[in-house]
Parts: sequence; structure tokens; C-alpha cells
Amino acid sequence: MKNTIAILFFLILIPFGSFSQSLSSSPYSIYGLGSLYDSDFGSISAIGSSGVALPSDRFINNLNPASLGFMYRNHFLFDVGGKGIQTSYQDLSKKENRNNVQFSHIAFAFPLSTKSAFSVALKPYSSSGYKISDYKLPIQDSNEEYTLSTTGTGGLNNFDISYAYRIGKKLSLGLSTSILFGSTTENREYIISNSQTTIDKESSYNGARLNFGTQFKVDSTFTIGANLKSPSRVNATKVQSVTTYNATLEASNTVESDVKSDTDDYYLPFEFSVGISKRFKNNLNLTMDYEKAFWENTKQADMYGSYLNQEKFKMGFSYRKEKNFRSYFDRVQFSTGLNYDSGFLEIENKRIINKSVSFGISLPIDNAFSMLNISYSYGQKGRISNGLIKENYHKISVNLSLDGIWFVKRKIE
Amino acid sequence: MLLTSCDSDVDAGEFVVGSDNLSVNNKVILIDTATVEVSTINFDSLVTSGQSRILLGNYDDPIFGKVKSDSYFQVSSSSYNLQTTSSDLEGANYVFDSIRMVLVPDKYYYGDTTKVQSISVHRLLQKVKPNTDDDNFYNNSSLNYDAANIGTRTFQPKPFRQDTVFVKMDNTFGDALFQKLKKREITNEDEFIEYFKGLAIRSTSENSSCVLGFQSTAVLQLYYSKKVTDSETSLLKEFTIEDVSKQFNRISLDRTGTILKDLPGTTQRLSSDLTENKSFIQSGTGLACRIDFPNIKQLKYITEKGTIVDAQLVIRPVNNTYSKTYPLADSLNVYVADQLNRIGGALTSASGSSIYAVLNKDNDEFDENIGYSIPLGTFIQNEMVKKSDSKSALILTIPNIFKAVDRLVLGNQKNTGNKIQLKIYYISY
Repeated sequence: MKNTIAILFFLILIPFGSFSQSLSSSPYSIYGLGSLYDSDFGSISAIGSSGVALPSDRFINNLNPASLGFMYRNHFLFDVGGKGIQTSYQDLSKKENRNNVQFSHIAFAFPLSTKSAFSVALKPYSSSGYKISDYKLPIQDSNEEYTLSTTGTGGLNNFDISYAYRIGKKLSLGLSTSILFGSTTENREYIISNSQTTIDKESSYNGARLNFGTQFKVDSTFTIGANLKSPSRVNATKVQSVTTYNATLEASNTVESDVKSDTDDYYLPFEFSVGISKRFKNNLNLTMDYEKAFWENTKQADMYGSYLNQEKFKMGFSYRKEKNFRSYFDRVQFSTGLNYDSGFLEIENKRIINKSVSFGISLPIDNAFSMLNISYSYGQKGRISNGLIKENYHKISVNLSLDGIWFVKRKIE
Repeated sequence: MLLTSCDSDVDAGEFVVGSDNLSVNNKVILIDTATVEVSTINFDSLVTSGQSRILLGNYDDPIFGKVKSDSYFQVSSSSYNLQTTSSDLEGANYVFDSIRMVLVPDKYYYGDTTKVQSISVHRLLQKVKPNTDDDNFYNNSSLNYDAANIGTRTFQPKPFRQDTVFVKMDNTFGDALFQKLKKREITNEDEFIEYFKGLAIRSTSENSSCVLGFQSTAVLQLYYSKKVTDSETSLLKEFTIEDVSKQFNRISLDRTGTILKDLPGTTQRLSSDLTENKSFIQSGTGLACRIDFPNIKQLKYITEKGTIVDAQLVIRPVNNTYSKTYPLADSLNVYVADQLNRIGGALTSASGSSIYAVLNKDNDEFDENIGYSIPLGTFIQNEMVKKSDSKSALILTIPNIFKAVDRLVLGNQKNTGNKIQLKIYYISY
């Protein structure tokens, strides 16, 4: 037991170092802190990322801290996952494919008592990975152009500490603190007239945010859930170097070198999500979520881009025979789901909508709840039009949800 | 294994979304409304000695006034014997034949070469020795000469064919010099120069219309012969400009009645606002164009943090002030000067090489693209961030300023059609 926990801690701490790297590459991730990241634990990715009303009984449900209140006693849950994504980027004139493998999350949860449980999770919050080469932009109020090349990498990590307490048999309340930290690096190179200017910037961010969640079991087959995320300010500082070189004058000028300064803080909006989970005939489960994020109130268009309020509709079905607990096949779960995300970016007066369909299978790997969750999603983000691109992606998510009941059993024995 | 992320494909960076957003953090600004003040200044003394050119001629410039160049120099010889092997016996048989001045064109000319030139040669009454503390002669230096000439010549200038100009000189003068040598009254350079101090060559034609350059290898040729029997051997004694620092050109400009008549002293400037929105450069006479940037420091306030990455000044010659007769120089020298027109040095690149104003010769129908452009990125950036109140200016001259009379008329910011243009490229960070 002790050794296992030590290994788990080790596994949790390792990613801190590697997290800051680019997790995904998307031209859209040039905005804000990068593209926001859905870390779907367990089989959630297969059901359209829905599940605000799902309990954390068989896997850790990261969508609602209150779900921990329904953890089984003597179970210790661990979840780790990764994703492989193939994206094709397409604009009015060309198409390009890129593959990408990403670490998704690592988390564990354990009950503190029959009524309360605790979990920690480390996952990406956002990731930024983009590159623009020799892009010509007009100089305002003139008929001249300059050329910009830029690359951006990095992102923010999210370290969640969650606690839930169940009141009676039906109501659970959860609280989660999300600590956000990380940095993004942007290298820009400008060619303006006969000069070349390099601006290297590393922005560091840190902030915290509170989640309050609740779940209520209306009856044994029907649960409703809600989750609120507080608005929050992410403090930002930057370290920047600026050099210019003028070819005609053979003059290089270090305008500033590793100068640390405050930069515009980033504001996270108030968000809420509500959802239901309903089981039919004891083996088909429906989940439906609605989520809204009030990005317009963050008013940071000057710095980070024009934001709109974001809405998400998520729905999923999962099916498990489970007539015979002894039959391996009966314990296999099949899932499918839909996800519609209105996005919060407005580019060229258009929303960047993301929609996907997903299918998944969860394979038991022991006699407890441990599962290997494999899901496939196909989705589209953005659209082909002037100044926008469409991303078509195929995503394979592999999550390992381990149930640590046997550790405890051994102890009890 | 799961902890590493990698991009398996190379991102060529061809996909761009929201190009408007790209200019949010770093704004690129082109400023073309900064004030540029253009004026004309007058360097009263240009060193014209040691330039290896005898500049002769005069012309009446329609804009600048009457331009005139005379030349002064000292000649000498390597030896003052008539014949190296001469004995007194032989020497007695030498007789003077003739004396002449030989001038070889050096291909420089300015103005209309179709009209005839007249020059006159005069004996100097004083030695070619500077009055000043230094060893130089200037465009306004002069030496006393004998008003009576010892030779004149009128010729058709053919600068390209380099037709040598021979000036037949006065035989009385020639014979007198010959006798001094023959009688061994002159045996060394000091004695020679004491007797014959030098020459002034003046341009005398009333209606000459160009200024010509001649090589400083000009020769004074003294011909004599030896009469022994019936046979006659012609012999030659040559006097040359052995020290080019003892040759200079007096270049003058009579601005009476012209737009430039009120040109102030060396430390002052004449605003182009007062001269029909034009500024004037003329080699030889010391007219130069001065350019000031009075409001550059205010660019500091465009954004909280920003830097000038490049700047380009294009100054244009005024239409109809240049022609085949009065051609444009290919490039101009650019100097950095203080408020009193004192030159601190040439405008240079970071590695120290001089920066020139280079003529853009891409002709279009209305000559709109003709102009001299100067890369000023570093200069303007330094002027913007300079802590002290002092402001530097630029002074433009034609590279042959010390030995020619080329001239140029340039437009200021109010000159319609030939407007000076300053473009400053700025980026905020």
C-alpha cells in the first residue's frame, strides 16, 4: 500500500515538469491562454464529455466534485489518460494533416469516511501551440505591409483538490479548488521595411478558482447535478526580450533583454453546468449536460481577443449488460455521445464552433471496477471561410481507471 | 511514455486565423507626418587646394547666379639646367623659341559645353603661400596677379575627347625666363620661385556657359634650340605642378538678384520656407542642404513602450531644375551636424561605413519616383531616445564638393510634387 501510494505520488509529480510543453497545436490556440482542454476521465470522453450528474463510484468524475460523495467505501480510485489526435487543417486554399500525442491527466481519489471523499487531479487547463510563417499584414493607415512569423507554445496546468460530503443518502455537496499555473512562450519575428525585430516573450500565469458542485439522487435511476465555477483572475507576468536589426545600417539594437514586467491579467468567467443522469432498464444510461460560461463579462478583448458567452450541450448513452457479474463480456461497457460547444472566440465576426461525436468501449481489467477506457471521437472545429480554418479531428482517448479496492481488502484480511 | 508529447508532423506555419488579432500585442506603426525642416546653409570656406584639378570656367546659372572658377598654382622643375650635358660653350649657342601652357581636360564639366571658352594666363605677384594658419587654400582664397596677361586662348570645350588645350604665351616673358636659366641666374627652386612665383588662369569669356576640369599635370613648356652649324635641334624645358597643395581653385558665386541673395553666415540657415520651398546644394561654392527633425522626441509618447525599427528619408530634386546640362548627382554625402552647422562626422552604419543619400533613378512618367533616399533608422531612434535637449541635423552635400560646381535643388515638405518624405517604422512591445 505504502509503496503504491509512493509510486502514485511520483507519477503525479513527474508531469509538472513536462506539462508546460505544447500539448496540442491549433492555429486557434494563438488566442488567450491557448485552446481550453477537456480532460475527460474514465469513460466520459465516450459520452460526449457529459456527466455532471454521474457519481464517482466506478471512476473519478472530474466534472463535478460532489460526485465524490457517492464513492464506495474502501475503494481507492486512480485515473490516468492520454490522447492521440490526428487533425486536418483546411482553409480556402489548402489542407494539411498533423498528428499529436498528448498526456491528458492523472488523478486519484479516496474516501475519508462513509460520507466524505477527497481527490487530487492534475490536468492541462489550456494549451497553446501555433506557428505562423512569413505572414504579411498591412501597416495601418498606409499601403505598406510587414511580415510576421511567430511560434507559440506552452499552456496552463490545473491542479484540483476536491472534497465532497454527502448529506443523507441522496444529496452530495462538493468543493474543489483549482490551482492554475503555467507559462506560454511566444517568439515573434517582424520584418518591417529593412529591419528585423525579434520579440521573445515568456508569460507566466498563476491563479486559483473555486468550484462548487452538488448532486442529488432523485431516485435510484435518476440523478441531477450542478456545478458552479467562480470567476477568477489569473495573474500574469512576462519576461521579454526585444532586439532589432537593421540590415542597411548593419545595426543591431537590444531594446530590452529579459525584462520582467506585469502584463494584463487573464480573467476566467463565471461558469455553471447542470446535468442529469437517468438509467433505463438497469443497463442503458443517459447523461445530458448543459454548460454556460460568461466570457463576455471578462472584457479582455483588447489583449486576448474578442470573447462571446459560451454554451455547451452534451449528451451520452452508455450500455452495459451486467446480468452476469461473472461474465467478462457482460461487464464491458459501450458508450456513445454528442458534444456541441459554441466556443467563446469570435474571429472575423464568427463563432468558432466545435462539435463532435464519440464512441467508446470500457474493458474491465480486474474483478473490481478497474477499466481500460478507449474512445474514438470525430469532430470539427471552426469553418472554412475568410480568415478562419476548419479542423477535422480524429481523437483516440485511452484512460486507465484503476480501482484500488484490493489494496484495502488485503489490509482487511 | 504518456508523459511525453510530440508533434509528429512539421508545422509549416501556413494556417493563420484571426489576422486582426495578430497586431494586438505589438502594433506596427508607420509615421509619415513628422515635421522635417529643410534649409540652405553656406560653408564659407572649402579647401580647394590639393584636389588635383584645375577648375576653369564661368556660367550664369538661372537659379544660383554667376558661377566662376579661376585657378592658381606654382610650377617648378626637377632641374634648372638647360641641358644636362651642357657646357658653357654649348650653352652659349642656345636660343629661345617659344613658351606655352598645356592643359589636359580631366573629363569633368558642368554646364553647356557648346559655347567657346576663353582663358587668360597671368603671372602671380606673390608666392603660392597660404595666409591662413593651416597649409590650405580655400574656395575664397586669392593671390595677387599681374593684370596684364601673358597668354590667352579661346577654345571649343571637348571634355570627352580630352582635346589638349595649348595656350601660346608671351615671348618676352618666355625669353626673359630663358635668359635667367641660360645665364645660370636661376639654378635652384628657391631662385626660380623667387623669380617666377606662379600662375593664375582666369576664365574670361563673358558668355561662357560651363566650368571645365583640367588635370593637375598641366605643363609649362619652354622650347629652345641649339644653333651650332646649319642643323637645329629643338629642346624643351618643362615646368609642372610638382606639389598639388600649391594649386587651388577660387570658386565664386555671385548671388545678386537671385533667390539666394539673403543667404546668411556659416552658422545660420536660410529656411526653405523663404526660398520657394526649395533648398540648394552647390559644390565648390559651399551651399548645402540642412535637414532638421524638430519633433522626433515626441515619438516617445506614441505608446508606453516602443522602438523605431527603421526610417527612410526621401528628398526629391525639384522638377525642371535639372537636365542634361545640369545633371543630378548619383549620391549625396550625409553628415551629422549641430545647431551651428558644425559637422560632427558622416552619417555611418553601425560598422562605421558611410551612409549616402542614393538617387532612385526608376523613371516614371512624371519623375515622381526620382529622389534621394537615406536610411535613417538608427539616427531617428537615437534622436528619439536622446536624453539631452540638443538636436542633431543632417547636412547634405554633393561628393565632389571641393573640386566641382555641381548643384542641386531639393523640395521641402510644402513643395508640391517634390515633397521631402520621412517614413518612420515603429513597433510597440
